[in-house]
Amino acid sequence: MYKKKISFMLLLALMVILAACSGGGSSNSSGGASEADPSKNPAADRGNNIVVAVPSDPQSWDPIDTFLLDWSSVASSVFEGLVDRNLDLELQPGLAESWEFIDDVTVKFKLREGVTFHNGEPFNAEAVKFTFDRLLGDEGAKGPQQSNYTSIDSVEIVNDYEVIFHLNTPDPVLLTKLSGYGAVIVPPKYVQENTDEFFNDNPVGTGPFKMVEYKRDQYVKLEKNENYWKEGLPKLDGVTFRFIPEASTRLAELQTGKIDIMKRVEISQAQTVKDAPYIELKEVGTPTVFSLRFDPGQGIVDDKLVRQALNYAVDKEAIIDEILDGYGNPISTYQSDLSFGYNPDLEPYPYDPEKAKELLAEAGVPQGTELDLFIPGNDGNFKEIAQIIAYYFEEVGIKLNINNADPTTLTSELIPGGKAGHLYRQGWGGWTLDFDNTAYLMYAEGQHWNPSFSDPKVEELLKAERSTVDQNEREEIFMELTEVLYDLAPEINLYQEVALYGANERLENFQPPHDDRFRLEEVSVK
Amino acid sequence: MAQVQVMEKKKSTFQRSWNFIKKNPTGVLGMILTAASILAAIFASVISPYDYAKANLKDRLLPPSWADPLGESVYLLGADQVGRDLLSRIIHGAQISLMVGFMGVLIALVIGVFFGLISGYFGKWLDDFIMRAADIQLAFPFILLAIIVMSVLGTGMWKIIIILGITYWVGFARLIRGQVISLKEQEYIQAAKAIGGSNFTIIWKHILPNVMSSILVLGTMYIAEFILLEASLTFLGLGVDPTIPSWGGMLADSRNYTTTAWWTAVFPGIAIMLTVLGFNLLGDWLRDRFDPNLKM
Amino acid sequence: MFAYILRRLLHMIFVIFFISLLVFFSIRLTGDPAAVMFGAGEPTAEAIEALNERLGLNEPLYVQYGLFLKGMLMFDFGESFRSGASVATMIFERAGATLALALGGLVVAMLIAFPVGILSAVYRGKFIDFFGRIFSLIGISFPNFWLGIMLILIFSVTLGWLPASGYDGFSSLILPSVTLGLILSGILARLIRSSMLEVLNQQYISTARSKGIKEWKVVIKHAFRNALLPTVTFLGLQLGALLGGTVIIEQVFAWPGIGRLIVDAINQRDYPVIQGGVIFLAMIMVLVNLLVDISYSFIDPRIKAGKAGG
Repeated sequence: MYKKKISFMLLLALMVILAACSGGGSSNSSGGASEADPSKNPAADRGNNIVVAVPSDPQSWDPIDTFLLDWSSVASSVFEGLVDRNLDLELQPGLAESWEFIDDVTVKFKLREGVTFHNGEPFNAEAVKFTFDRLLGDEGAKGPQQSNYTSIDSVEIVNDYEVIFHLNTPDPVLLTKLSGYGAVIVPPKYVQENTDEFFNDNPVGTGPFKMVEYKRDQYVKLEKNENYWKEGLPKLDGVTFRFIPEASTRLAELQTGKIDIMKRVEISQAQTVKDAPYIELKEVGTPTVFSLRFDPGQGIVDDKLVRQALNYAVDKEAIIDEILDGYGNPISTYQSDLSFGYNPDLEPYPYDPEKAKELLAEAGVPQGTELDLFIPGNDGNFKEIAQIIAYYFEEVGIKLNINNADPTTLTSELIPGGKAGHLYRQGWGGWTLDFDNTAYLMYAEGQHWNPSFSDPKVEELLKAERSTVDQNEREEIFMELTEVLYDLAPEINLYQEVALYGANERLENFQPPHDDRFRLEEVSVK
Repeated sequence: MAQVQVMEKKKSTFQRSWNFIKKNPTGVLGMILTAASILAAIFASVISPYDYAKANLKDRLLPPSWADPLGESVYLLGADQVGRDLLSRIIHGAQISLMVGFMGVLIALVIGVFFGLISGYFGKWLDDFIMRAADIQLAFPFILLAIIVMSVLGTGMWKIIIILGITYWVGFARLIRGQVISLKEQEYIQAAKAIGGSNFTIIWKHILPNVMSSILVLGTMYIAEFILLEASLTFLGLGVDPTIPSWGGMLADSRNYTTTAWWTAVFPGIAIMLTVLGFNLLGDWLRDRFDPNLKM
Repeated sequence: MFAYILRRLLHMIFVIFFISLLVFFSIRLTGDPAAVMFGAGEPTAEAIEALNERLGLNEPLYVQYGLFLKGMLMFDFGESFRSGASVATMIFERAGATLALALGGLVVAMLIAFPVGILSAVYRGKFIDFFGRIFSLIGISFPNFWLGIMLILIFSVTLGWLPASGYDGFSSLILPSVTLGLILSGILARLIRSSMLEVLNQQYISTARSKGIKEWKVVIKHAFRNALLPTVTFLGLQLGALLGGTVIIEQVFAWPGIGRLIVDAINQRDYPVIQGGVIFLAMIMVLVNLLVDISYSFIDPRIKAGKAGG
């Protein structure tokens, strides 16, 4: 029987190893991050260069080809727009020194002088015109960015350092749109002289860092732009972005000092990051919100009472406190508090299962009714939330079937096609920080993301909001719109995402971005 | 006298069992582990101490009762991410994993053995045709097939089983074919042919018994592999729904908890490991028993 | 033999052609690339039209397929929908990483499996046998992502010996190779043990023994050679796993291999990359399987390749 004993011992040994690994994180906690000796910091030998890990490679660096957050994480160091949205999300002069609205549909920009692209080309009015001609022309039509800028009719060159934007319709969010993505300025000669494919892999902008090497799906190396127009910046010599899809691997690299900044720390990893030496956890509210959206075209959820009832049935506060460990903020409509149009007077539906039961009874929904929920199969954290919601639903007599779906199929086929059950999980970035974009795409009839919701009042308010640039008027309309939407309850609004970043303590002035756009020019190392 | 005889008989039964265990330690260990997982699957609802399905936020990630410094936990193996008893989920998880393993292998085996036998035995164009089909199947990546099927038909346990079955028939077919080709050159098969035995008889009586050991070895190997592949699919976002307690799903969803709630990841891992070990040991042992060459 | 190889090459072309059909039409069932590429944007009908025009998706299917086949002959799989880069270039960029991982995994697997398999067979029923079997089973008892994460936790985080990820020199190859190798070695060691046992009990081995030939000489000379047959079969079978099925290991270790390229492409519905990647892997697989079949006839003279036909 000694053989059995041995196998038992092997198992035991295995468990000890596993336990040792798991203990590794927590045993270090006693050391305390702040008491650690900085000279032993494993990242110190990189000197004035830092490494940042992001989950995915956007594949193309051309600004008109992308909509990915990971693109903007890297590209914000390479490209710049006329307007700059800083880390506090305030708009300030970027490549344009100043601007002035001549009327609702005409804006004049005064451009910064003496700025050059990384390849030596001068930045001037011609570069601005070229950029927008390209974005709005045939070239841009092939990418996802053009549709964001259709309010721009043309760009007129006044002189070398002055341009006028002619709009075909008032656009209240023009300036924030000019701060990133499709509107960043590209060098005309460089783009024309090289192939598309070459520019995709070898982008050139005016930003604080220039791209010197790109290995697809491995890393990009950025080097300090010596001629950067902001005096004395950037402070770092170089930044390498590595693409590491798996969160536990990114964490391992952070713990061993192989990277300085980790994007997307999972909530389940937060404690480990806090406890590890030389590393700190940084949290920041994002514009991204997560909700269970109803498809009113499906069965009983076309009834407002049912949707409201299910809103009362779920204890969102408990979900935020327990599953998200507090890394999330309650929301009352499908937008974050960073969004223009956020209504601070609306409280999220309170947790009130009795009320939920009443409303369900009033709507004539029998006990034991089954509803289908679709979630992306790769989001471990949301699977937990979905199961808790199923529990809350059960408490009020509704059986919730959770369906995993292939993430791509869910967002590109099932949701737009109205095939994602009675409810589906949807996260929404709202990158313009204005409810206009979100509300229009979600609630206007016939929109891609809106399989079946329709309401005449909402439709009317959306039209009204789009026909004015008077921000006070728009805000009033949004307040009314949010109240109407709150009552109609087209979704169970769960939470605003709080993004977690892990950063090595040797970094100074690193502030995590609300909008994924790293700003590294002010960052230095101790 | 009579009484003594009964005593002796009892003793000899015991003695024989003891000898059996001593002679076949791996086989017995394999049987015990396999039987344990099968029994867990059958009697899951009877032996589970708690409800495996109902979430309970209060008990989220409670550690195992013996490792809980606060003494709040009543769960022997701790509670999972939504506060369910991990032990109950692991017990019920046996049902899912064994279902995926057994049914997947059954499908692969029936298809694969059939085509392997006729391919190897008849040769010629039939062999060519089947082996080309096998090549096509082999060269078509499993993950691609899984994503295509699941994006068109949706996810679910039976879809996983069918995808596994239709992907892995090739393993059986090629292995069996290789052996049949070897076997049919052997004298006793040639002799059986010479005295006019029908093809069916030869395959059934002379060839099939000889390839049985390989089928068993590969079958047990695949049961283990399928249990793990189900986990891989979960890792890629194509797993069974989260309410279903599958071991693979539990492991994939707890991979970021390794340092904060180790029990959610360690115990399902041990469950998988023991089951896989059991099937492999049992398969090996069966092979020794069945293979006539070894009874010398 | 020559005629046999020629015939097999013809079969190869048939297989590749069939796979091209399968992959071309099946990925078109999974959804519209334009919808994926525009993502959270607000594509107008014209924008989708323009994109489809650029991607060549407005052509009738048979024209698209014809172009795909035509390009394939020149190993030109078109350009990636996402990066605009040539698919052939993208594949060749990855070939090195894929090959390195496959070879690394194979070497680790053989280093473990041959000693374990042979020793367990020779000392059948003894302690070594039992220990060897358990040891070789550890690798296949955990899902590969789990094994990879555990190895990272032990060797990178806790011990600090090896890098956790990346494609940067020999040290970064070790952990992914060990993960892959452990998985393969479990199966390989069992197969070697089984076939060694079968051979060790056969008449001619007993004869050799009775002739007084030393035990180890018998093992190496007779038994080992015969045990190679199933091993080679196995390696041929596992080639798919080695080249394309390592996607999870590649993902865990941020390894830039072809498997990950294909899976990322599937998630983005990047048709040309999927098609190119699958065809490329298929070509290699079919070629290697041909080599495996041919090598049968050298390893086991009982199989006459030409006659066996397979």
